[in-house]
Formats: sequence, structure tokens, C-alpha cells
Amino acid sequence: MSARGRIALVAAGVATPIGQDVDAFWSSLLTGVDGISTIEHFPVADLRVGRGGEIKKLTRVKDWSGVSDCRATRLLISAADELAAHAGLRPLPAAPTRVAVVVGTALGGVAEGERALAGDRRARRLRGGLYDSPAHNLARWLGARGPVITVSTACASGATAIGVGADLLRQGLADAVVAGGYDALSRFVMRGFDALRSLTRDQVRPFDRRRSGLLLGEAGALVLLRRDGEAGPRRLGTLLGHASVGDGAHISAPHPEGRGLERAIRMAMAQAGVTPADLDFVSAHGTGTLLNDRIETAVLKRVLGARAPAVPVNSIKPMLGHTMGAAATLEAIMCLLAGRHGQIPPTRHLEEPDPECDLDYVPGAARAARPRLSLSTSLGFGGQNAALVLEAAP
Amino acid sequence: MSARPAGASPVVAAAVEGLRAPVIRALGLHSGWGRGAAALPAEARVAASGRRVLSLGRPEALDARYAGDRFRRATRECLWALASVEAMLEDGEAAREAIEGDGTALVFVTAAVYAASNRAFVEGGGGRGTHFAYTAPAVVPAEVAIEFGLTGPSTVFIGGPPATLHGIWYAATLLAEGACDRALVLAVETFTECEDLYARARRLTGGPLVEAAGCLWLEPGAGTIALRPAGASRAAGAAIRARVGETFACEPLAAIAAWRHRGAREPLTLEGRWRGASTVLQWQDGQETAGG
Repeated sequence: MSARGRIALVAAGVATPIGQDVDAFWSSLLTGVDGISTIEHFPVADLRVGRGGEIKKLTRVKDWSGVSDCRATRLLISAADELAAHAGLRPLPAAPTRVAVVVGTALGGVAEGERALAGDRRARRLRGGLYDSPAHNLARWLGARGPVITVSTACASGATAIGVGADLLRQGLADAVVAGGYDALSRFVMRGFDALRSLTRDQVRPFDRRRSGLLLGEAGALVLLRRDGEAGPRRLGTLLGHASVGDGAHISAPHPEGRGLERAIRMAMAQAGVTPADLDFVSAHGTGTLLNDRIETAVLKRVLGARAPAVPVNSIKPMLGHTMGAAATLEAIMCLLAGRHGQIPPTRHLEEPDPECDLDYVPGAARAARPRLSLSTSLGFGGQNAALVLEAAP
Repeated sequence: MSARPAGASPVVAAAVEGLRAPVIRALGLHSGWGRGAAALPAEARVAASGRRVLSLGRPEALDARYAGDRFRRATRECLWALASVEAMLEDGEAAREAIEGDGTALVFVTAAVYAASNRAFVEGGGGRGTHFAYTAPAVVPAEVAIEFGLTGPSTVFIGGPPATLHGIWYAATLLAEGACDRALVLAVETFTECEDLYARARRLTGGPLVEAAGCLWLEPGAGTIALRPAGASRAAGAAIRARVGETFACEPLAAIAAWRHRGAREPLTLEGRWRGASTVLQWQDGQETAGG
């Protein structure tokens, strides 16, 4: 990829159930902190499963005056507060009209819509229920007046948003992009996944023969994107390639052979100019559902070919739950931190490998390895598939 | 619909560095006013005669065609998405095979189409798993992708008219990068199921809410295309809004339909305003530009 096409991920900010800054998040991933707990922010007694990766209290931002009480917005702004500290967003690194915000979400501020339906008649509840509302709240908080884009490719949104943000930079439509993803836990989403029987009463066990489903989590995750030549030497890493592809197979299940995911990976690798021999690590979607893990394994084996058994693959969802719109951004950040720190976080709760899932999933404990080139994969409702190819900073 | 012959290229180009403008191959549009640009009124408020929502109703032909198969679960908004693609194919005098496969990108844009499903899910007690999937905006283009066999690049943008301008820009980007051979920009908005909620927020919307579904077929072109913020200009999109009513993300597609219908020769400039910010997308005739 040409230098013009390379996009730097300068810094990151996160709010997650296992840490409300990047350092805490990283250290929790390595030590296997369990972010899953009984949900306390709304009633769950009537649900089959009432556990998830809930953030009990947002602790980073002390003064919420002037900020919507929409939880999704606050997750984003918690992440942005850390990003601002690391990336120097006060003042903004470019003219406000040249700073864009691109965030991905599966459900936006859906809880605001629930409140409106429950009788809260304030117009701001209705406005807040529109899925693009938190992105605009974030842009206002940052003082950014460039394009504000909300991407909703379901649970692949956090990857698609980074890709769209990179395209804004490549096309010269912005000089800095705050990109990432978020989603908050709500009764709405818990009831939905509960009704789909997707939630497990056990631990989340990606690639384990006993796996029985996912657990949801909430998070906000943001990165600052700049063009390679304008980013300076201090950075998390570089985005080399991305793709978001539909598979046209089913509204809520992946293509049975993972053809959409395979196309997304191959397109992202082609854009990055890398081959399977170049890849050091794969961050899998790894939800712990029967279908996802088997299909994802088969796709990785097809794409990586003979190298597949030698490439470590992990899933961090057992520790914090599936954070939906935030998941792919968190996983991209994790890939780059692995390269920086020389450690790959483990796939927790993988104890009895499924014979159909026969790759190296980094079970047990974190592994000493320094992946330079990583592939991160994501899937979502609506047959959405996304892939990012990332290079860790030296 | 436009009398422009299939395959014609009313295209645009402009100023931004490097991004080649696509040509418009075809456009399908349904709205609460009827089918295509010919049905659009001169002034929405007058034509609405006090009605707050102009509904699309249900697409009866599609309802009948899909009765009993997997589309029985499809929502009204999904069916109108399908109908707009069919109208687009008709406008382009193309068979559905022309868009099938990996070569077609699909960019879906909406501000609020998920509201109806969200409400049904919330008020229905949330016990129907199949229904929950339809609360994801990505499911509307998924139904289109399943029906027409679209397996190329795909994304979903949420927002009002500027989001559609971003969607057209993104489609142009995919075409310029060679990531696809053609790109469809699909927009759908429905309001009827939440009419009472919108009534609470009347001051947030300027005119009658007009349901609409449109699909724009873009192919690689020779010019360039410019997308730029336009500050807080209240005038952005005002003319088409006054004519058509509030169609949220469908507004730029209605503007293109009107532009084509009147056989306009001037460069196409699309404006959109949403949440206090305005965006402009300028196209010029790429062939004219290239020819100097």
C-alpha cells in the first residue's frame, strides 16, 4: 500500500467492563479479568439470562454538565476523554471543519427511544432515540464540525467505522478522524438476544466444544486516525486495509460457508498488499456461538492455507462480553497493543477444543509474541462482514 | 419516472482531489405521493392538506408475491426497499441479473426506518426473536441483498440527508477504488407506525412527513465529485423539502429524481441539512469536464 493509503491510528481511548482506560483494559486482557456480572442498571429478573459485561459506574469523566444523560453518549464521551488526553485533542489537531467523527453502533441510543415510548414526552428523548444521536453528541463535545457519520453494520460496525474514517482521510475530506464504536446494554437489546436464545447461562467459550452462546457487554472505543505522513512517530499502529461486505444469505446468521467473511478478508488483504505469509495474528469475532466459531474457523483455514495452524487466533469476548458496535474497535486496539507489548491475550474459558475448531486459539494464559501484522474479523446481523489489516508500530 | 433513456449518463464532477464521480445509471423512487418524480407535488404543505404523514401503505404486489415464503416476516420497510430496487431496474431497463453478485456494492441509508420495528418489539413484549432481528437497520439492505443476490461491498449509514450524501460519496469511493463495478445507494424512511411520537416533536420537522423508498444505481464515471460541509446553512435542501416534505434520508434521492425528471442540464448540486449541520455534494458532467 502506498504511503498515501496508509492511515495511522495515533492513539486510543476506551470505556469497557474490564477497564476504563487503555492501560487497565490491556492489563485486564492479559490477566484474564472477568468483566461479566449480573446486570444492575435495569430489571433482568424476567429474562433467561441476566448477566453481561456491564460497566457499573463510569468513573473517568467527573463533570457531566452539558452532556446528555443518554448512556450510549456517555460511553462514547468517556472513551473520547481518554483519547483526548493521549492524542492531544484539546485543542483539536486540525481546523474544526476538518475533524470528522465516524462511529459505529448496532443500536445507537435505543434506550432513549424506550424511555420515549414509556411516556417521557420530552422531544430530546425522541431525538436521542435516533441511532445517530450519540455521534452528534460526541462531535459537539469534541468541537468537531467536519463530517459526522454513524455506521450501523450491526456488530461489525466498529470495524466499518474505522474503514470509512480512513477513506475520509484518503479522499482528503478530513485531516483528522475520531473513529470507533459503542453500544450500551439496555433492556431492549437484552430482551432481543434473550428471545433469540443466543445468550448462554454458562461462560462464553469460543471454539470450545461446550460453547453455548454469547453474553453481551457495553463499551465505547475510539481511535484518532491521521494520514500516515501527518501522524508523527508516536502511534499505536497503522491501518493497511479494510473491507465491509454483505453475504446476502440470511438476516441474522452468517453465510453457511462464510463466503462473505472470506471475501471481506481477501479484499482487506489485497488493499493492504499482504499475503497469508505476512500475517502474525488474527483477532477473531469469536462469539462463542455454535455457528460463528465453526464458520470463522473454516474461513480462516481457507484464507491462511497451510499457515493456518501456525497463526495464533484469539477472542476477547469471554472477558467483557460481546460489546456489539464497540467490539471491532476494541479488538483492533488489542491487536496493536499486542504488537507493542509483545503479548497476545488468551481466549478465556476455552478448555475443551471443538474438533471442528482446530486452530491455535491461545487458550489458557497470555502468550509472549509480538505480532506485527494482524487481521481482525467481525460479523453482524444482516449478513455484514468486516475485516481490518493492521500493522503495529515498531 | 424520468423519461431519460436507460444507460444515459447525467453525470457530475467537480473539485475534490482525486475522487472520480459516478454516472447515474438509474433511479427508482416511491413516496407517499406516488411512484417516481412525476408524482411529486409542487408544494408539500398544500398537497398534504393538513395530513401529518403521507404513508406508502403496503406494496400490495410484493405482499402477494411473498406471502407464505420467508419474506412473510419482512417488514413494510423491507418490502418497500425491494420495491424501490425493482423500480430502479425498470428505470434502467435492466434485468435483476444485471446487479447480481460480488460486483454490486450496496450502501443503505436511513435516519429512522428502524423506529417502527423497535416500537413493535418494545410494545409486543420483546418475546419474538425473529422480530428482534428486524430492529437492526442492517436487515433492510440484507433483505435486498438476499432477494437480488448482492454479495459485494456493503455498509449502512444512519442519519438524514447528509448521510445520504455521505452514502453517495462512499459509493463513489468504492467505484473509484475498483472495489465494485456498480453501486446502489438505497434509502428508506417510514413514519406511520410512530406518527404519534413524531407529532410530539413537530417543531423538529418542518413539513409533512412523507414516507419514501429510493434506490440509485451508480457506475464508474470520468469526472470528479466534491463533498463539503456547508456550515449551518438553513437553506440547504430547503427547496426540495418544501416541494416533497420531510423524507429524511430519501430527500437527496427525491432531488435527483426531480432533477432528472425536468431534464435539467445544469450540474447537479445536492444539499442536505440535519441536526443543525449542512452538507453539499456537487456533481458536474464528467464527460463535459473531461472534454474541456
